[in-house]
Amino acid sequence: MWAFLGSDVMFFGAFISTYLVYRGKSLVGPYPSEILNIPITSVSTFVLLMSSLAMVLGLHYVKEGEKNKGTLWILVVVVLGSVFMGFQFVEFREFAHLGLTPRTNIFGTTFFILTGIHGAHVTIGVIWMAFLAYSSHNGALRPDNALDLEIAGLYWHFVDIVWIVIFTVIYLISANDAPPPGMESITH
Amino acid sequence: MASLWRKLTHHDGNGWWNLPHTASNEPNPPYEGPIGGAWLGNIWRILTHGSVSHAGPSFYWLVGLFLAIITLLEVWLFGVEGLGSWYIPLLLILSLLKFVGVVAFFMHLRFDHRLFTYLFGSAMVVGIFIFTLVLLLSEFGHQSPN
Repeated sequence: MWAFLGSDVMFFGAFISTYLVYRGKSLVGPYPSEILNIPITSVSTFVLLMSSLAMVLGLHYVKEGEKNKGTLWILVVVVLGSVFMGFQFVEFREFAHLGLTPRTNIFGTTFFILTGIHGAHVTIGVIWMAFLAYSSHNGALRPDNALDLEIAGLYWHFVDIVWIVIFTVIYLISANDAPPPGMESITH
Repeated sequence: MASLWRKLTHHDGNGWWNLPHTASNEPNPPYEGPIGGAWLGNIWRILTHGSVSHAGPSFYWLVGLFLAIITLLEVWLFGVEGLGSWYIPLLLILSLLKFVGVVAFFMHLRFDHRLFTYLFGSAMVVGIFIFTLVLLLSEFGHQSPN
């Protein structure tokens, strides 16, 4: 799993670099400062961070043989991961409503590809965790094979740290990227 | 130098800054607390009434609180006027703290075999090196017209 995560670092690194290379090069709006909603994304970031906490607690209780607590915390991961996906769905819909799609400008292309691929990773993680919650509930996941959950947990935490970088680079830093003078485009 | 580093980062009974690095399924090592060795560990034991020697739920909640506070700090910085050229470096430092917190303790890299640290760390180093080159080339690598 660590080798896979190492390769995934390269994978996401390529998309983050692409975003940075083309940052500020959009010729038409909407531009980041006009469209990014930092308060909402901060909440979804907090939700994903707390899902990592739930993950590590779930693993701890499964290893300790406390089946019910282990199942509960894995379910919390599933719920928080789904809430995060809900936030992303609402954000994408809002952006489309405001006129930003992957075809609108270079910001839209790089933004949607990067966050969309991250969202796909989260979706895979949520499905994986749902299976593991079911396994824990019916007793198939036990302390002696908790490595299955540990490996899934590594994947989940990795998705979390990728978001830590995306949140900083795309949202907090790029949210100040204003349109070129005289090019203000939309609509709030 | 190696001895000083060990004193700073590992417990030998008198570590100054002694975060846990023993897996919870191993026997309790002496003087190793969820946070701190000598004095910080004692504060932790007083707060938790005693026998917490490994990274367990209390420690994970503490790391979660730490991550939440850093996120709040980042969002607060976003609204602060006049940080100027300090804004991006400050955000990158806070982001790095969160990154290290999750990788070291939630992904338990600190408790695992060193090989995993080298594997993941080398991917990070190679990745950051390549992508920094890409960014520098895109910024400064344009050919000037003849």
